Order: sequence, then structure tokens, then C-alpha cells
Amino acid sequence: MNEVIQHIHWINHGVALGYLIAFYLYFFALAEGTHIVSHLSWLYYRQDNYRPLEKVGSFLPFVILSLVSFFLIADLGHPERALTMSYNWNWTAPVAYGFYVVLLCIISYAFHSYYLFLPEMVVKAREGSVFAGLYKLLTGGLADGTADEIRQRHHGKERFWASTSVTMSIVGLIYLGFMLSSFKGRVAWNSAVMIFIFIGQGLSTGAAFLILFAQLKNALGSASASNFKDQDRYLSGLARFFKYALLVQALIWAIYLMQLKFVGQGGQAMINLLVSGPRSGQFWFLQVGAGLVLPFVLMLFKSGRDQWLLRVIAALAAMVGAFYGIANLFIGGQMLPMTSFQLEQVPYEPDKLIFAAIMVAAILLIFVLSYKMLPYENIQSEEA
Amino acid sequence: MRQINRKLNRRQFLGSLGVSATALGAGALLIQPEKRAGASTAGAKKYAMVIDTNRCTCCHGCTIACLSENNVPDGKYRSWVKKIAKGRYPDTSFHFLPRLCNQCEDAPCLNLCPTGATYRTEEDGVVHVDREICVGCHVCIDACPYGARFFNPITNTADKCDFCYHRITAGVEPACVTACTGRARIFGDLNDPQSEIIKYLNAHSTQTIRADLDTRPKVHYVAADAAILGADYSAL
Repeated sequence: MNEVIQHIHWINHGVALGYLIAFYLYFFALAEGTHIVSHLSWLYYRQDNYRPLEKVGSFLPFVILSLVSFFLIADLGHPERALTMSYNWNWTAPVAYGFYVVLLCIISYAFHSYYLFLPEMVVKAREGSVFAGLYKLLTGGLADGTADEIRQRHHGKERFWASTSVTMSIVGLIYLGFMLSSFKGRVAWNSAVMIFIFIGQGLSTGAAFLILFAQLKNALGSASASNFKDQDRYLSGLARFFKYALLVQALIWAIYLMQLKFVGQGGQAMINLLVSGPRSGQFWFLQVGAGLVLPFVLMLFKSGRDQWLLRVIAALAAMVGAFYGIANLFIGGQMLPMTSFQLEQVPYEPDKLIFAAIMVAAILLIFVLSYKMLPYENIQSEEA
Repeated sequence: MRQINRKLNRRQFLGSLGVSATALGAGALLIQPEKRAGASTAGAKKYAMVIDTNRCTCCHGCTIACLSENNVPDGKYRSWVKKIAKGRYPDTSFHFLPRLCNQCEDAPCLNLCPTGATYRTEEDGVVHVDREICVGCHVCIDACPYGARFFNPITNTADKCDFCYHRITAGVEPACVTACTGRARIFGDLNDPQSEIIKYLNAHSTQTIRADLDTRPKVHYVAADAAILGADYSAL
């Protein structure tokens, strides 16, 4: 096959699913990972003053999932038919399951967040604080007892929704990997490693997200809260988990690239695309350099993990790098041609990117507003 | 008025959740539109095409006929011809590969379409896109290993060759077959032992594109060069 071949006439097909869907996959994995990490940490610490971080890990993923679903809808040729996916259902298509997976994740996150915030909202509503009307509306009445007593009464329900939501988060990450691996014509995706890539990606970006936005909560939240010091200790502990999650992510990517080496010319073409082709800049500098090496080095020693600024820098870098990881895999996988000899081109879709930017800004705004409006801190610490 | 004090324990809650989920699933199934043939191809007819590349002159008559017959939007193709040149002067050769949807018996696009808008007609095994159900999610376009699908910007749905279904159901051959100047395309029913396509298949050795994927394409090629059948990754 060392003959000289000139391609004289062919058809380029382009990249069918662009950056909007790459953003969707990234935020989906991030939300699921954040939820899993925050609850795994709760199981590890089991301290009441960890609860504010659990609230961050439950409510913010709910907001993300609720809004990034619009990315999918915006990318449809017929957005008005989006809901028909709930009943025009093809059993053999993993994408069809996504509708229900996302829906159940959103519902379970909403219930879990509600039971986490409930005791503080009831007490604050009784006290007649600034947002007492909102809390009354959300809690549906003023129950008796202290925050601890109310929490005790709803403990069973809260734990039930915690278990359900964590299960759904794991299902969600498996779904993402399974969905991509079902494209048997796509050599870059048709691999069992996909599931592990999304799990690894979810856990590392989840820890990064929790570090970043819990820090932001403490910067913007109630100045009277006294357990910020404890939370700082938890975040330092989380940074240690984050360090190992980055290591696991790097290992999974190494396994992925190794297995590509053994799946023929297509696999080799994907490796070349990433390490020396048009995506090599994003792969080496953003995904590996900024997303894996920099945060790992910053979080390697305890002195780095104990400094909030270094934690924030590491978390930001890892989140940016993780996005390029998804983009390299998702867009790069579609750039490999099916029948021609040229890499497929990514369509320029400024309208969709502007939409994504607006939605991300809206998500950030809701985060900030929620820090001001919702009682993240334990009521005991507020009183202290 | 008697007040009913009903406390739900966890077991009852889980039970009712299970019942609700089952009811929801059953309801979703019941309100689905009439189920189509899915992956079954055991119909009365089995339309297929053989393309003898020895006879193809790369005149693009099929491409133009298809564009005109099916109102294909500018820049998109349901049928086209790939052309390569091999070797160095004076030992050179030209190879042509007329392309269209393979109407696979195990079609990845059909299996991965989330709404079931891509379906196969039971009576003849042709794979279609239902434009009334297609949500335009692009999944099938990515799923097709042959690049045979495209997004139609006019209908905002997926689009592809359907063997000119409006013609074949009226007893007329697809437009590309009629327009082929070299008579390179032979269309017919694989279940009819007297059809020209069966005779041609029996008399010639044939290949399919990406046979490794086991999608069982129904478009067969005679004497297609190995270099033109797949993607040329060495050129990337």
C-alpha cells in the first residue's frame, strides 16, 4: 500500500456535532462529578459543619443540569420537537435514554437540595429574615423545633434523595461514556475506555468545581459564619482527593491512547491528530499542561493545598483543561474522515457559541445570587 | 370530615416509585406512534444495488440526476462519485467509486436514532428518515460510518438516499440508475431469483465498503480498488 495516491474528487462531510454539544458533555460530566465528590466527602467526614459544602455540591449541579439541557435543544434542527424524544423512543439508541437520565438527575438533585436547605430555611423564615417570604413559600409552612430537630425529622428523606441522586450521577457518567462508545464507525469513540474517561473527568472536575465554588461562597457568603475555618480544612482535604483524581485521569488517558495504538490505521490517525496534528496545541498546552500538570504540581504538597489562592488557580486550570479534554475527544473524534483523506472541518457557528456564553453567564449569576439568597451556612454557626 | 393520617414509610415509597416508573414506561410505549419495521428485513422484497466500477466513467451523471430528482440543497449530496489516481507516470490508473446510502441491514444510523425517525420499510428493506419525527439531532449523521447522511438545512432534518423511493414504488428505477451512461448501476430485488441484480451478483465477485463493521450493506461494488474503498489515513 505504499503507492502514490492522489485524491481528485471527494465529498467532505464536516463535523456534525460541534462545540455546543462538547460544552454540554463537559458540563454534564462536571455536574455529575461534583455531586458524587461532595457526597463521597460527606460519607468520609460525616460532620455537620461539612454540610455547607454538600449544599454547594447539590444545588449548583442542579442549576447546571437544568440549564445546559438547553444546549442540546438549541442544537436540534427542530427544537420545538425536543419533548417528542420522551415518547418517540428508540430502545436501541443510548441517546434516547439520555432524556430520562438527565430528567431523573435534575429531579433527584432538586429534592436532595431541598431537604438539605429545609431546616435553615424554616428557622430563617420564622425569624423573619430578609428572604423570609421566599423561605415560607419554599418550605410550605413553619414547622416547630430547632434546625437540628427539623433536620432529624427529615433525615430519612434527605438520605434517601442523597443515595438516589448519587446513583443517578454515577448512571449519568456511565451513560456519557456508553453513548459515545456506541458509535461503531467512530474509531476514537468506539472504546470501553470512554466510560472511564468520563468517570475520571467527572471526579477531577467535580473536585475542582467544589473547591472553586465553595471558596467563592465563602468569599461572598455570610460574614458572620464561623465555620469557614473548618470548611477551609475540608477544602484542603478535598484538594488532596483532587490531586489523586488528576492522576487517575492522566492514567485513563494514557490507557486510551495506548489502546488506540492497537486499533489499526484509524487509531493511529487519532493519536497523530492529538499529539502532532491540528489539535496538538490544545492537547499538550491546555489539556495536559494546564489541565493536568499545573494543578497536580500546585496540589502536590500540603503547603500548596492549604493556600486558598493556589487551590483556586489549580481548580480553574483543571476545569479549563478538562474542557479541552472533552473537546479533543469529541470534536477530534469527528474530524477523522470516514471515506476521504482530509480531516473534517469544524463548522463556524458563532450564534451557538454566543448562546452558550449567555447560558454560562446565567448559570454563574444564579450561583452568585443563590449565595446571597439561600442559607448555605448551618444555622448554629450563624447564631454563634 | 375524617382526617386520614397516612404516613408513607420507605418501603411503601419505593414501591409506589417503582409502580409509577413502570406506569410511565408503559405509558410512553403505548403512546408511541405505530412501530415500524426496526431491524427486521424479512420483507417480500429486498432492494439492493450493484455498482460495476469497471463501467463507471466518472461522468457525474448520477450525481446531477440525484440532485435534480430529490431537490437536494446546494453543497449537499445524496449520491456522488469519489475519484482517485494511483501510481506514478507512466504507471498510473484512475479509480472511481460511486457513493450513496448503503441501506445497511444492520444500520448504525437506525440503531442510534433516538426518536426512531430513521426506520426501515418492512416490505422492501429501504432505510428512510421520517421528517415529521426527526428532531434534527445529528446523531445519525455521526453514526453512519460511510458519511452517507447530511443535515438538510431546508427541512432541518437528517437526509440521505432512499433509492428514490417515490420512483421504485411506482415501478421506475432510481434516478442515478437511469442516468448512468455506462450502465454501471444495477438495481433490483435480491429476493427475486430472476432479477438482473441476482444474475449479476452470481456472475461477479463483489465488495462492500468497511466490511469490518458488519453492517451488511446492500450496495455492492464490482472491481473496486482497495485504496478507494476506505479512508486514506496515511494522507492525514
